[in-house]
Amino acid sequence: MKVKKWRSTVKKIGNHANEKENKQEFTPQNSSNHVTDHLSLTLKVVKNEIGHNSDVHFREFIIGRTGIQAAIIFVEGLSDKDLIEKHILSSLMADFSKEYQQDQLYVKESLSKQFIKSQVLSISDVEEVHSIKEVTSKVLTGSTALLIDGLSPALILGTSKVKTRTIEEPVSEALVRGPRVGFTESLSDNTSLLRGSGDIENLSLVKFQVGKRSKKDLIVAYIKEIVDPKLVEEVEKRIKKIDLDNVPESGYVEQLIEDNYLSPFPQVQNTERPDRVIAALMEGRVAILLDGTPFALIAPVTFSMMLQSPEDYYERWIPGTFIRFLRYIAVVLSLFTPALYIAFISFHPGLIPTKLAISIIGSRSGVPFPALIEALFMELSIEILREAGLRLPKPIGPAMGIVGGLIIGEAAVQAGIVSPILVIVVALTAISSFSIPQYSVGITLRILRFVAMLCAAILGLYGVILFFLFMMSHLVKLKSFGVPYMSPAVPYRLREWKDLVARMPLMMMKRRPKMMHTKDPLRKG
Amino acid sequence: MKQTFNHVQFLLAFLSVFLLVPLTGCWSSHEIEERSLGVGVALDKGKESMIEKEFDEQGGGYARKNLITSTYQLITPQVASSTTKQGGPQQKSYVNVSETGDSAFQMLRELSLRSDTPLTSPHMKVMVIGEALARSYSLEQLVDQSLRDNDFRPSCLMFISKGRASDTLESKTAGEIPAFRLSAMVENAYRTTRILPPIPLIKLESKIQSRSSFLLQNVVSANGEIKFAGAGIIKGKTNKMIGFLNEEELDGLTWITGKGKGGLVKSFDKKTGQLIVYEIESMKSHIQPHVKGNNISFDVHIESVGRLSESWMTSGSSFNNQFLQNAQKTSEKKVKHLVRNVLEKMQTKYKVDVAGFGNQLRIKRPRVWMRVKDNWDQTFSEVPINYDVKLTIKDYGASGSKKYAPDYNFVYLYVKNEKIPPKKYSSHASYGALNK
Amino acid sequence: MKGSELWVMINSNDRITTPQATVVVINFILGTGILTLPRTVAEQVKTPDVWLSVILGGIIAMIAGVIMVKLSQRFPEKTFYQYSQEIVGKWIGKLFSFFIIGYFLVLGGFHVRSLAEVTGYLLLEGTPKWAIIMPFMWASLYLIRGGINPIARLFEIILPITVILFLLVAFMSIKIFEVDNLRPVLGSGITPVLKGIKTTALAFTGPEIMLIILAFMKEPHKAGKAVLVGITIPLFIYVITVVMVIGALSVDGVVTRTWPTLDLIRSFELTGLIFERFDSLLLVVWIMQMFTSFTVNHYAASLGLSQLFQKNIHPFMYGVLPVIYLISMIPKNINDVFKVGDMVGNAALVLFGFLPLLLLIISKVKGRKYETNL
Repeated sequence: MKVKKWRSTVKKIGNHANEKENKQEFTPQNSSNHVTDHLSLTLKVVKNEIGHNSDVHFREFIIGRTGIQAAIIFVEGLSDKDLIEKHILSSLMADFSKEYQQDQLYVKESLSKQFIKSQVLSISDVEEVHSIKEVTSKVLTGSTALLIDGLSPALILGTSKVKTRTIEEPVSEALVRGPRVGFTESLSDNTSLLRGSGDIENLSLVKFQVGKRSKKDLIVAYIKEIVDPKLVEEVEKRIKKIDLDNVPESGYVEQLIEDNYLSPFPQVQNTERPDRVIAALMEGRVAILLDGTPFALIAPVTFSMMLQSPEDYYERWIPGTFIRFLRYIAVVLSLFTPALYIAFISFHPGLIPTKLAISIIGSRSGVPFPALIEALFMELSIEILREAGLRLPKPIGPAMGIVGGLIIGEAAVQAGIVSPILVIVVALTAISSFSIPQYSVGITLRILRFVAMLCAAILGLYGVILFFLFMMSHLVKLKSFGVPYMSPAVPYRLREWKDLVARMPLMMMKRRPKMMHTKDPLRKG
Repeated sequence: MKQTFNHVQFLLAFLSVFLLVPLTGCWSSHEIEERSLGVGVALDKGKESMIEKEFDEQGGGYARKNLITSTYQLITPQVASSTTKQGGPQQKSYVNVSETGDSAFQMLRELSLRSDTPLTSPHMKVMVIGEALARSYSLEQLVDQSLRDNDFRPSCLMFISKGRASDTLESKTAGEIPAFRLSAMVENAYRTTRILPPIPLIKLESKIQSRSSFLLQNVVSANGEIKFAGAGIIKGKTNKMIGFLNEEELDGLTWITGKGKGGLVKSFDKKTGQLIVYEIESMKSHIQPHVKGNNISFDVHIESVGRLSESWMTSGSSFNNQFLQNAQKTSEKKVKHLVRNVLEKMQTKYKVDVAGFGNQLRIKRPRVWMRVKDNWDQTFSEVPINYDVKLTIKDYGASGSKKYAPDYNFVYLYVKNEKIPPKKYSSHASYGALNK
Repeated sequence: MKGSELWVMINSNDRITTPQATVVVINFILGTGILTLPRTVAEQVKTPDVWLSVILGGIIAMIAGVIMVKLSQRFPEKTFYQYSQEIVGKWIGKLFSFFIIGYFLVLGGFHVRSLAEVTGYLLLEGTPKWAIIMPFMWASLYLIRGGINPIARLFEIILPITVILFLLVAFMSIKIFEVDNLRPVLGSGITPVLKGIKTTALAFTGPEIMLIILAFMKEPHKAGKAVLVGITIPLFIYVITVVMVIGALSVDGVVTRTWPTLDLIRSFELTGLIFERFDSLLLVVWIMQMFTSFTVNHYAASLGLSQLFQKNIHPFMYGVLPVIYLISMIPKNINDVFKVGDMVGNAALVLFGFLPLLLLIISKVKGRKYETNL
């Protein structure tokens, strides 16, 4: 209880401080939050706010032969200079006095925004804003603000052009067979990828803004006809709850909307591939795209999804099934092999074949450390190597990994610190963990492997079994947005198993997963 | 289920305290290289070894009666490392340690007083019991400790040895481990009828508990070499050994039980006195008990299918069915002879039923069995047993008949193809078996 | 009624499907029986017809199971602890519930103690019993905090693993299997078979959990099918166990061994086939099965106490653990452990053989009375 009280007081203090900050913004001079008719006044306020930035430019001019003063405000680099010069300035500075005078709403010495919007501006994206704050925020995200003397609302013209990457294959999820297309950091590029891959009926993209200081656009994507409306509601509810200054990457979003932050298992999937997102949407899931990161989120997610890769579906069903089996075996191996090694060597030499036992004894005679220390030592070195390999520059990285692994293993054996069998065990484990398609789960398993080793060191095989039971109990209780994490394995629904361990022929997989409670259960066609 | 922060904090505190506890000791953790693997045990009548005598002189003895000498075959870490390092094993791949006393368990533990890598028995492969010991003590007592032990696996194979059992665990070949050699030799049963089906410890227990007589494979040893030589007979009532069946008698016994998987029958042709060998491909036997009132009798029907594997007959062509039938008859006679011998030994000399007659009676006439089972060995020795043997030679390998008549000591001649109808005692060429 | 609010709270979201109910029953039945059944029955029957005894025992258990299902189906959404009070009145109903809770507690202690014994014997010699028992109990606690649903789901995952491993291991023992050990069939008549029925029927104690979980089922009308399937599968497993064990060890050999099934698995070695020795697999299967049985005991006892005292279930989940631990420490040696098992079995006979039948009759009579009163 005390903790709760403490937290609520902290929150109160925080809110109080926030209010103070907000108050300071309101300079008592003018009701300066509003855009006024007076251009010079408005300009002054805006210059106050953001004029000190070197990349914010103010261009004052006279609108086409009417003699009315106007100004545009834009940020160099973020806005499309081409667009500004060719379309905004040139269209505004052209001579349209004739048309202007013939306009119905002609009021001398002032322009109606209607006229400007409908007849002059050759820009597609025009918005009206009334508050200075909106003006500044829009300008700072790349739009151009058009202030006209005598016209109260400011016009925001959409000219933002963020420099983006070309579309290339995602680095973290390369496939042998499949589209070599990955998301980029630009939200509009990403949404275009989603829409562009075939005309998807009823694909809804709903925009939100997250982050209080650095407002970022976030898009929730779902297929309206398929998805369970309660799911969408839940997702939107959680997104709205996000209360942060800055949301730099979708990982923040993931951590803030997941069900159980204490679980080592990820409850939201992240991916760089549009084809994975679209497949998920077709199953009735919801995707979340955040501006500034190529990693899209998919929710809800189940454990079996973590072990699937789009390639399973692009290949035929027999290789697909075989590779799936392989992956499941790899998961088991990567999790339990070192633990079983410790259990058998330190506790139950009677459970391994005799010849193997003899050779293990022989090779371990000179080793000074008990099995646990040996295994921990090797595993930690491999983990450090792996991290190091990620940070090293590209040319050295992979080579370092291989060389490091081999040399360290070999040298350690020669030095008599570890036994050769352990090197095999560790190598097997490392390779198995690389074969898991989803990186987040790979990390989870790496951590759990250490826990399993500790359990094995304390209670041998019994400890490993208990660890397995603990982990399974946890997985079974875990839910991702209301969907049990271990579906479709449990509860038993035979139809669901077609895509679980094996990958049945496409002809047989006509239904969407029942756990998603979709509105439209049959995949058309 | 959402965990409240409180809950989590409590659990974390609890966990961190409790995680300290196991650090005090992983109680059952013994590294594998700190122990020696025991792979074989030999039990003999008590006779102290040299080392033990010297220990005794120095006051290292303890209160015991020197009833049993256990010889443990160990693979110590030193030995194991020498065998696994490159270059192959240079010296012996095993270590034999002897200990004398009266309690199997105590002797085991005494080893801890003599070595830094004490014995651990989950890899025991064989247990050999010496003849002298088997005759004096009931098997039940001897194996009791092994049956109770949690480490000692019930898959350990049991043998009897003529002479001292510890000699069977010696070998002069570099790199060979006698216990492994023994345990792998039982796999040869498919090649000869002179090996009993392997008896793991657990089956021994079943046989002991059933109080019926049975056999244990006998091993003889000489100079580091061993040989399976027949079987030792264990009497059901006392569980002590009372005698041996030699190789040939064991052969006959296998024919009666029908459990052979391969082997041969060597016989000599009546007319010419020359060698004919019949190779067994499959055999089966059917024991049918007959009960008329109080009289029990058995009919044994033995059948086998095989081939003619070796013939020293200098005349006669196997392409001729008559010749084959002749060979069959000769072999059948030999089998009958073997069976008769062993039956005689069972019924007359030792008065035990080790061929499973009682078992068949139990299965087919359970009520009669209830009456006679308590004194079956005695009853069995008076029961008439009829037997008949039927062998079928279905082929004779790649060689057919002999080309030349008498005088030749050569077994066969491979002659080229000339199509001539074969006649008895023909000395013509024959074609290869493929053409037939 | 104050109680009704509470049980609505517990039950409403926590539903299990029919296959899940079946799986719970199966996992609860499979327990120490796998290891000791061949011996306990062979001691009674003394002939190789043990497997017939097992089948007959299973049939009796099915009958009892169906009775219990029928009884519980008359009171939808209520567990035994609740509706027993409706049938025979508050105090007697509470008394019966107490007995059943006590049964679950003692059974839990028995399970955990047998687990400690076998694990200590085969896997962890030298580890103190509390170090074996406590993490086990904590794992169970962690699981049941989620309610019946995670329990059922976990059981659904464990069951295929255990069944596959068990069948694998059992059929590998064909190497030392001798058909003759199982003959003659019915050599001494049917009487010995009947002698063994009491022991075998008690090996199938487990369907009594239907008295409680029926309230959680999504489709309670299918509970009868669940119970029948839930007993048939352990029946198969037990028959296979008994056949393989006696086939290899023979009746004479079985009665002298404490854990005959373990001996069976340890008595053959398939050289070259990854693990040469397969008792590790059997132990994995068995430990997981003990876990499932224990979890059910734990949950049923906690649920009972919470419904009896009409408080939240969580404190009881924690509080029950020390009680079970103390119970498990009571038997002084392994013979006492087996005696506890027998005692529990006899209690099961009364509590779940006669009692549900009695209650069913009473409730039917009452029901008719009510109708006639209308």
